[in-house]
Amino acid sequence: MPIEERRKAGTRLSGLQVVVVAAFAVLAVCFWVLQVVQHKKFEELAENNHQRTLAWRAPRGLVFDREGRVLVENRHSYSISIVREHTKNLDRTIRTLAAVVGLDQAAVRTIVDRHLREPTYRPITVVQDASLAQVAAVVARRLDFELPDVVVEQVPTRRYPDTMGSHLFGYVGEVSDSQVAENTALKSGDIVGQSGLEKVYNTLLMGEDGAKRVVVNSVGREIRTLDEDLPTEGKRLQLTVDYDVQKAIEDGFDSIGLNGAAVVLDPSDGAVLGFTSRPAYDPNAFASGIDHSTWAALTTDRDRPLNDRAIQGRYAPGSTFKMAVALAGLEEGIITPEFHVYCPGHANFYGRDFKCWRFSRGGHGSIDLRHAIQQSCDVYFYTVANMVGVDKINKWATALGMGVLSGIDLPNEVQGIVPSTEWKRQKMHEKWYAGETISVGIGQGQVTTTPISMAVYMATLSNGGTRVTPHLLKAVDDGDGWKPAPVPAPQSKVTIDPEKLQAIKDGMWMAVNEPGGTGGAAKILGHDVSGKTGTAQVISNQGKAAAGKTERDLRDNGWFVFFAPRDNPQIAGVVFLEHGVHGGNAALVVHHILDTFFAKKDGKPLPPKPTLTPNLNPSMG
Amino acid sequence: MFERRLYFHIDWALLAAIFALCGMGVVMIYSTTADPTRASSHLWITQLYAIGLGLIAMVFTLTLDYRTFTDKSHFIYIGLLAILVYVLFFGTTQMGARRWIFLKIFNLQPSEFAKVGVALVLAKFFGEKGGEPQWTDLAIGGVLTLIPLGLIAKEPDLGTAVTLVPVFIAVAYLAGMRLRILGVIFLAIVLTAPAAWMFALKPYQKQRISTFLDPTQDAKGAGYQQIQARITVGSGGLTGKGFKQGTQGQLRFLPVAHNDFIFSVLAEEQGFAGVLVALGLYLFVILRALESARLSKDQLGSYLVLGVLASFTFQVIYNITMSAGLAPVKGLTLPLMSYGGSSMIATLAGFGLVLNVRMRRFTN
Repeated sequence: MPIEERRKAGTRLSGLQVVVVAAFAVLAVCFWVLQVVQHKKFEELAENNHQRTLAWRAPRGLVFDREGRVLVENRHSYSISIVREHTKNLDRTIRTLAAVVGLDQAAVRTIVDRHLREPTYRPITVVQDASLAQVAAVVARRLDFELPDVVVEQVPTRRYPDTMGSHLFGYVGEVSDSQVAENTALKSGDIVGQSGLEKVYNTLLMGEDGAKRVVVNSVGREIRTLDEDLPTEGKRLQLTVDYDVQKAIEDGFDSIGLNGAAVVLDPSDGAVLGFTSRPAYDPNAFASGIDHSTWAALTTDRDRPLNDRAIQGRYAPGSTFKMAVALAGLEEGIITPEFHVYCPGHANFYGRDFKCWRFSRGGHGSIDLRHAIQQSCDVYFYTVANMVGVDKINKWATALGMGVLSGIDLPNEVQGIVPSTEWKRQKMHEKWYAGETISVGIGQGQVTTTPISMAVYMATLSNGGTRVTPHLLKAVDDGDGWKPAPVPAPQSKVTIDPEKLQAIKDGMWMAVNEPGGTGGAAKILGHDVSGKTGTAQVISNQGKAAAGKTERDLRDNGWFVFFAPRDNPQIAGVVFLEHGVHGGNAALVVHHILDTFFAKKDGKPLPPKPTLTPNLNPSMG
Repeated sequence: MFERRLYFHIDWALLAAIFALCGMGVVMIYSTTADPTRASSHLWITQLYAIGLGLIAMVFTLTLDYRTFTDKSHFIYIGLLAILVYVLFFGTTQMGARRWIFLKIFNLQPSEFAKVGVALVLAKFFGEKGGEPQWTDLAIGGVLTLIPLGLIAKEPDLGTAVTLVPVFIAVAYLAGMRLRILGVIFLAIVLTAPAAWMFALKPYQKQRISTFLDPTQDAKGAGYQQIQARITVGSGGLTGKGFKQGTQGQLRFLPVAHNDFIFSVLAEEQGFAGVLVALGLYLFVILRALESARLSKDQLGSYLVLGVLASFTFQVIYNITMSAGLAPVKGLTLPLMSYGGSSMIATLAGFGLVLNVRMRRFTN
């Protein structure tokens, strides 16, 4: 090779050497920047790549009765969700998933669309409480990498073992957008109480969701668990409710076959022993997301099963109101227990004739307070009401718990009405006419009450004037043992002359225990049941004739209010039967409740499920 | 033919560096594919066979005088073109490209051998020509390069086709081509780029390039590999996550980890330290081979060395840049380390020629 050319080639080779060395130096610097300078950032990205944080839903707290028997528990269910973070083609995923689980594509799309604006790592639950077949179908596709962005999660789901006290427990459901907006502790997808106790004590019951960090590969298959943050179960609640009493109420209603409500209290402090509203619904249907048709059926049902009649239904109290009128007369010094009225079967007030229910049999004759209560004489109470006046009746009825909120720890309680001149002036801008007071005397006319307020009425009357606050929570287990819940303070207290009160109690005792009383059906030997029937018109007699041709159920409502025993009472309450025709039918249900209650007290075997046959022929008052 | 004294002139240091890189490659292939639950768990063994075959090819290219090969290079070249044409019509199609000849036991990728063939024919052409290449020489050399390039690009395998360009430029440069002409060639490439963009590139190729410019525009698709490559490398840190501990490669966030992205996995599992070792070895191999070019007793030898080295160096630098997510993703493997039999055999055969030139620097 010529020297000249060799020299030139040598120079060019040196040039190449320099270029190569420079290129490798640049590469080394690049790797240094990526691996050393920016290491933290990429390390984090790599972790996000292969580590997935999965939500781990906390079970809601269990609910027990006053003796520790389970009323509400949890079961495991499977939910199928889409995690869009791993979705390559959402349309394809929706199509495939809908086909695999056998759902309508449009329905799946609607669910997904509702959550589109949420962070992509948050699973969108498409199927709640999935069947095993659905779970198997999805899992098989997942392993084939057909649906890498779909997850199957095991979630605790509410279970109400005995379908009873539906309105008491309420139901749970997915949190609504407005609820999330109101409460920052909630996040979309949470299951929260939507009514009843589940709603009122949601914060206690909810618990804290945990999380699980897992390693996944590029198609989302879980390889192993890195660490777990165990969920905290919601706090356990103990209710004042007695399972046996509650069961007796439900059995009674099942047997009598009528709608209505019942509330049974401990008159000493207002603890609710049992509570129901009929017709009921199955809260289990809500536990894993209620389907459209079930919801539609519940909301359009003419019997309105979602309505809690015990705290939201307002009905004329009828004759059960008479003790309030009696107390007003006695305490205001207008009558004494020995005050007699002659009942010929009807009486004329302000130019209008008012009938007694015993009109057809010639009335009650001369009758005193005790017997007037026992036999529910209307003329006696027309007379007393007329003497006392509406404002004093209002004062004492309110003191006994009617026309005001009871303050029970349940949502959306409705207030009844006990009229007064002031009330009429404000509400209707009209003067109260004395003639209107006559109907009020027998719990008709403008008076309406809720069943819960009637139970309070009985508790207050039986305990001597303390208007206790009905309450359901007995104790809370916050993780380290049961802590008793404070008993809510009474709403008010009035002093009642014991002798005057005794006369009313006597009348109620006689109504159940002596011949000629209207509530004989509730009698239990040795337990001095005191009670009062009530039969209230749903519509006036004239209206009845006018509406006669419609299909509306116009039969009278039946009430039975009670406490027992007469002296030193342990139980007080009310059974209300919608279109129960008369109070005697309600007394049948009360009998079963009290029979159960006292059998338990006495350590005797509980009575079997009763067979109650209501008398639906309208006859007595 | 092979005299005993030649044995002492074999560049053992270069050989050692080459097999060190092969060994690192096998280890990384084992790390990414030896999961018994996967169908690919035998790949590292296949790679060992390929290295064995490569060694035989190397002994072959080392034993005969390199001038024997260059003398016959026109036959080799024509045979090569014939095979490339054959592939276009009868080759095995995989993933949309017709690149392979099915040979019962394995698939042969003739385009890998085209690099050596072109190096041989260009070395012969410029070596026999002597003196500063004229325009006509450059044109002939260019055509000799472009014919196989076109055939390979047609398969399509644009990556491999492009590696032939450095072979031509390097040999012409060493032959004394004026730097001004080099500038003109670069200018021509730059000017034809928009036209190529418009007419020659397939949509997926366009997408790869536009994605490179902004990977986030398609983070799930074409940009995915690039982003994942950067994450893989960056998360390795100074000392790496350890053998078989890399999450990116092991959990398959990085596609074809044992192949195109083997260097990324090395960076993840062995860290910056491992990267420096590998870069050092590659640099040593390249500089050592350049030394052979300098020591060659004739121009033919140095052209041959440079021709072989040009595609190797280009591929090494491009692949490593791509492994760090700093270049558009192309199906270019990392010579000596990536999984692939044809590439391994062709590369080792090429280095056989490099060793050959150095070994015979004192013979006549």
